[in-house]
Amino acid sequence: MTNATVVPTIQRAPAKPFFFHTSAHLLRITRLKANTLGELLDALRQCPDDAIFEHTFRTLQEHHFIREGFSNDFAHWALSDCNEPSLAERLASVDVRAFTSVSELRERFVQIVDSYLQRNPGVGSRMAQETFYFCAADIVILPTSFVASTMHEFAEGVRRVSLHSIHHHFIEARLRIKLMSNDFSQWLHEDVGLTETARALNRIDIYTGTLEDVRGQIVRIVERALI
Amino acid sequence: MDSVKQIAENTPETSADSSDLPMAAAEPVPIRPERRQSPRTWETPPAPAPPPHLDDYRAIVGEAELDELRFLARDLKRKSVKMVNSTAVGGGVAEMLNRLVPLLGELEVTTHWDVITGGNDFYEVTKAFHNALHGSAYDLTRQAQEIFLMYNEQNRQRMQFPEDVVVIHDPQPAALIGARENTSARWVWRCHIDLSNPDPRVWGFLRPFIEQFDAAIFSSQSFARQLPIPQYLFYPCIDPLSEKNKELDDSFVQKVCDEFGVDRSRPIVTQVSRFDRLKDPVGVVQAFKLARKYVDCQLVLAGGGASDDPEGAVVLQEVKETAGNDPDIIILDLPPWCALEINALQRASTLVVQKSIKEGFGLTVTEALWKGKPTIGGAVGGIPNQIIHKLTGALVHSVEGCAYQIRYLLTHPEFAAQLGKNGHEHVKENFLMTTNVRRWLLLFRILLGRRTT
Repeated sequence: MTNATVVPTIQRAPAKPFFFHTSAHLLRITRLKANTLGELLDALRQCPDDAIFEHTFRTLQEHHFIREGFSNDFAHWALSDCNEPSLAERLASVDVRAFTSVSELRERFVQIVDSYLQRNPGVGSRMAQETFYFCAADIVILPTSFVASTMHEFAEGVRRVSLHSIHHHFIEARLRIKLMSNDFSQWLHEDVGLTETARALNRIDIYTGTLEDVRGQIVRIVERALI
Repeated sequence: MDSVKQIAENTPETSADSSDLPMAAAEPVPIRPERRQSPRTWETPPAPAPPPHLDDYRAIVGEAELDELRFLARDLKRKSVKMVNSTAVGGGVAEMLNRLVPLLGELEVTTHWDVITGGNDFYEVTKAFHNALHGSAYDLTRQAQEIFLMYNEQNRQRMQFPEDVVVIHDPQPAALIGARENTSARWVWRCHIDLSNPDPRVWGFLRPFIEQFDAAIFSSQSFARQLPIPQYLFYPCIDPLSEKNKELDDSFVQKVCDEFGVDRSRPIVTQVSRFDRLKDPVGVVQAFKLARKYVDCQLVLAGGGASDDPEGAVVLQEVKETAGNDPDIIILDLPPWCALEINALQRASTLVVQKSIKEGFGLTVTEALWKGKPTIGGAVGGIPNQIIHKLTGALVHSVEGCAYQIRYLLTHPEFAAQLGKNGHEHVKENFLMTTNVRRWLLLFRILLGRRTT
């Protein structure tokens, strides 16, 4: 039996309610762009944090409907415009949920591209088919009309909020709370006492399903805790 | 005379050149329905439908999405916005503002829409500017500059700007920025045109005005310029409730196909676009002929522009010559108000093609993706923003590539259906009118310093 199915069968009143929020993003075009992998590396080092956020965390939301084959914009460009599948695979393997700060995430991408270009020195100056434009996300945080004072209301809230809200609480959250976790798991652990349920949520793979699939998995795990 | 011209004649099926015959020559020849010579469509434009309300979008984007718009608008309720452009009717900007302004009003963001005025000399100059900003060579004279500035000054004196945000659309009213010193408004320049390769003199003339704005908005990353002000990316959008995109009864789709002689029992490949070389309709016919050696299908080329554009008529003639007497190639020169018929043809299609050689954003791609159609697009302009190769459609770079993708998608319907499904979701997330409203509200909040609620 996997850990994901070992959820408590208790039902507790939360110590405090869960307020569902959401975030809205506006795309800003920065001055940085890359026509070669060498230029990409330079821009990765210089670009603002919100550009790294845009091309990793945010692009996952923008492409939330894709089940496989899309991880981040850098990997996509390395494959589709630079024809470097090996580099693309490495870039695509970066799981944003392994990072609690954008600077660590930036360092990981720099490291991958830098080491690839050192091993393949001729590749760095080859022109890509299309330019990579560095964009950044300006964020506005918003409340929603959903508040959960019980586990049933929490499950209902997860079912009914927008996918932007799911992304805000489940994926972007770790940059805010600086923990290898998410808002849902934190609430279930700290305010409801459902530690195993919290852990089960944290193990959901966001790269092998759509965000709607992720929502469905969250609901199923939470419902199992209600039995 | 009927305003709709159906070009391809209902010719005998034996006319195809032997080199174009399908390889599986033993296949029975399909029976084709009789094609009308004069399909029934509108002679004149029908009255425009009233703009939809926000709640009309609930079934499409969901209650939570509409709630987010309301929350975004909540802190803007005592704020006002002015939109300024150069035409009240016709063209994509006016069409977009006709939908956007009422929706912002419904969200209690008071939005005024003003249209500048000018003489023929002004519009001649701004048309030339438009073409020059798209890359055409242009001799910018002092007289042209004076005409541009004089009409902008006349409009500046006529107009008032008491709003909190002023949005100037496109270059024509750009010099109205001269009025900002007397206002406390935030000023935004919304550029709807491709500035990736502008005539340097015209851009050099306009640039000092643009630099005085608080922000600029472009439709593609590649259209942005090096400017000292923030530049935002607003993709163009479609309205899912417009005649071009709304759901249709299958009986209507069937009726349109019957009238145009399109056989729904066989695969239909469609390109909707003006008869313009940049849309490469001749290349589409060539790709279709290559593909049909392997798969049975029909081609529908539905467009316009041949009756009011001399070059369009020439291109149409080239398309007809390339098509020959092929009964499976249906060429339709439609007037611009046949949105319902275009909608029906797109919905009847098995695949949609937009094999452009140069493109702005490519809203016909957006329309096809919204209808869940597997879509093949030229890898130019804004098409790669919409078609992510093998994920939301197929990108091609040549006639041969286009032919291969037609063959592949027609023979792999499950993969094609997945592309169509992904494409629909891509449009829903990024290219709908409600997304556009969200972007405007976000921008207003950011400009007015209201990032959190």
